[in-house]
Amino acid sequence: MSLRRLLGLSVSVIPFVMLAAGLNAPSQAAGVDDLTPVTDEMLLNPPDGDWLMWRRTYNGWGYSPLDEINKDNVGDLKLAWAWAMTPGRTQETPLVHDGIIYVQNSDHTIQALDGASGDLIWEYQYELPDDAPVRGVRNKAIYGDNLIVATRDAHLLAIDTKTGQLVWDQQVANFAHGFGFSSGPIVANGVIVQGTTGCSRAQPGGCFFTGHDPNTGAELWRVNTIARGDTPEGNSWNGVPLEARHGASAWIAGSYDPDQNLIFAGVGQPYPWNAEISGLSPKSSDPNVTNDALYTNSTLAIDVSTGELEWYHQYLPNDSLDLDYVYERLLIDLPVDGEERKMVVTSGKIGIIEALDRTTGEWLWGVETVPQNVVLSIDQQTGEKTINPEVIPIIGQTTFNCPADPGGRAWQATAYSPRTQALYLPTVEFCSNTTVNVLDPGEIYTGGGRQTYSRVPVPDGDGNIGQVRAINLTDQSEMWMYRQRPAITSSTLPTGGGLVFVGSLDRKFMAFDDETGEMLWSSGKLSSSLESFPITYEADGKQYVAITANFASGLGRLASLTPEVKIPANDPITLYVFALPD
Amino acid sequence: MPIVFAFPRLAGPFLALALAVPVAALSPGAVSAQEPEFFERPYAPGQWTFGRRLDESQLRYCVDERDPDWKVAGAIADAVAQGLLLAPQRYVVKSKIIMEDITKVYAVMLEHCDIHMGFKLIPGGYSNWATLTRAYYETEYVFVTADPDIQSLADLAPARPIGATMGTSAHIRLVSYLTALPREDRWPTYPMGTNDLALQSLLNGTVDVALVWAPHLWAKQREEPAYADLHVIDPNPLPPTTMGVGALLLADETFVRTAVDEAIAALSEDGTIAGILEEYGFPATALP
Repeated sequence: MSLRRLLGLSVSVIPFVMLAAGLNAPSQAAGVDDLTPVTDEMLLNPPDGDWLMWRRTYNGWGYSPLDEINKDNVGDLKLAWAWAMTPGRTQETPLVHDGIIYVQNSDHTIQALDGASGDLIWEYQYELPDDAPVRGVRNKAIYGDNLIVATRDAHLLAIDTKTGQLVWDQQVANFAHGFGFSSGPIVANGVIVQGTTGCSRAQPGGCFFTGHDPNTGAELWRVNTIARGDTPEGNSWNGVPLEARHGASAWIAGSYDPDQNLIFAGVGQPYPWNAEISGLSPKSSDPNVTNDALYTNSTLAIDVSTGELEWYHQYLPNDSLDLDYVYERLLIDLPVDGEERKMVVTSGKIGIIEALDRTTGEWLWGVETVPQNVVLSIDQQTGEKTINPEVIPIIGQTTFNCPADPGGRAWQATAYSPRTQALYLPTVEFCSNTTVNVLDPGEIYTGGGRQTYSRVPVPDGDGNIGQVRAINLTDQSEMWMYRQRPAITSSTLPTGGGLVFVGSLDRKFMAFDDETGEMLWSSGKLSSSLESFPITYEADGKQYVAITANFASGLGRLASLTPEVKIPANDPITLYVFALPD
Repeated sequence: MPIVFAFPRLAGPFLALALAVPVAALSPGAVSAQEPEFFERPYAPGQWTFGRRLDESQLRYCVDERDPDWKVAGAIADAVAQGLLLAPQRYVVKSKIIMEDITKVYAVMLEHCDIHMGFKLIPGGYSNWATLTRAYYETEYVFVTADPDIQSLADLAPARPIGATMGTSAHIRLVSYLTALPREDRWPTYPMGTNDLALQSLLNGTVDVALVWAPHLWAKQREEPAYADLHVIDPNPLPPTTMGVGALLLADETFVRTAVDEAIAALSEDGTIAGILEEYGFPATALP
């Protein structure tokens, strides 16, 4: 049974330390009674001061038009309040509506806080089963009067935004088989769309996207991420039967194009990574069979009302290096070769930004960012890649590949600013000596790894592991790049104030000039590395910028490359909220 | 025309503007990974609340009832405790989760046990936070079939498929062997997520031979009649893939490890472990 606790407005906030003088005095708690329902229209055109979905808008930009904090005054930015969250591991994206900020702790305590004062309004404790992983979930959704929350044990919850009371609880999959949610849903055209992860071993057949009724949580449709049946797609697994196909996790929320009523979402790679072990190599001699392993490393265009797969594009067939083209999809309309194109833009761990025409799936262009030795070339007509055969892991050998897991970019999302028409990427530069190893140290326990990555700096590099890159999407040229030794570990947040916020492994939250890359502000050292998704919002007419400081499973793993950077071993998690002095 | 990428990519003029710092000497460790989240440094909720235990007259050990050998392992652990003149304290891990990340063991051990029975001695197979005792028995991966005409792997026609428990040492050895053969002589080999799934694929006819962990087959054949007619075949032309099994400890428990190692050696020497294996009819041998 889940425990519900409704706390009054008088609950005091956990004490926090003011980092500097002249900070905001806590304002009155926002009135939850005045909360407005989140409508379809609101999701299509969110109020400037709200952050209603993972990347704020359906187009996945991660951009806020707020400009009270701007290039001229960001240097005055101070801590407004902080909130200690349950220690552990998370990759949190807070949501904000009508000045109320909602967070999900790693132990699945869901909390509503006054966005201006940081005061706790209510909290709801979802009780994970004892043997479920206790970790956060990247994002939530909000629709009508409900916060829609995904759990690590593969449930979807609707929680009343005013009271914190559970409205419904829908189990989507059996977590005992490994299924779970590490990201949450988006709600589009009245349908909750959720992707599933954890499809590597005990549940053959891969993962899936599901559509759900927002009133009840009932499942409306399901799209399998591993192709099946006697079709060209279903025959793309080298003759391996469905029960021996693994992977294709759908672990990042998608974007939505209301004009086409399509969700665009990514799918991860096949498992295990090594193609000899997965049965994808050597290629079958059957002319009717390929080893592309669809729909791994693809964009899927799914009709949100019916669950029909309208089209797909695969970026990297038969991936044996965990290069994961699963991340955020940005819907951007810009000219390509003089013709206005409706694009869907993404990049995988290899850091090559690629654009498709989102009405047809046609590949349009690609541009390299981080140093990489995996892709030798890309066909400009089709996007087909020529892979460097020397980097493909082979049993009994050590190969050298750049980048490697966790990627030249990881789950930390890129963001797009319409002000500059630039994509802002948090990236890292490194390579790996990679060897294949066994998986089964115990009968039950796994994790010996499909491959072992001994990470090393890029040969002849300058020692700077972390970068923030600004790529002008009108011509795919590099606008600017910021480099530092510790990894850049948060998503980017461009704003209407001409700023790009980002966090790093060495516990700093920074703001850059979106046009020049000049660093205009940096926080003091916060409580841990910043591996999360920064947001900005408005409460009581004032702009705030928020980020969760936490160690997570992304680029924090690169700490081995910068051993001088120390982060707390007990994995504290703190929500920090910054604002200008009154 | 393809776009041709250069490697290494040349650093741009922006480098001069960046906050470059000297490169320190680096010693990155080899790390393992899995999907989609993996942690080289384990974490357990409330891990700082577990202090040094005061009762040092006990050997606290864990066995996992999902392990096919957990009763055998429990008997061996009891004998180890007795050999060390300690009171055995058994904790049985119970869970419905089919597969788990090995870092979950970290949390179990903080709370419940000094040693966790049932881990394979795989060279380089563990992260720095864990260490293993010496093996208390050795067993093997086995090729299994329901076809009475197949007595060795060499009897299997090239086109007939094998379902291998995915990523085991034996699976990797099999794949390596096949890679060296002409294409027409290879058996199609399908990766099955678990021993259970590999055996199921054999029963439902998806494959003709399954490659599984011998203790798992032993347990299945004791518990379920459907598996009774399966028989182990000679791995020829491959050699047997054997594996020692020991107990896992937290890496800083060096004193406990030394003591347990000495106890296992003594129990192997005096025939105690061999006696336990024989009592259960378990397909393993005590190591000298």
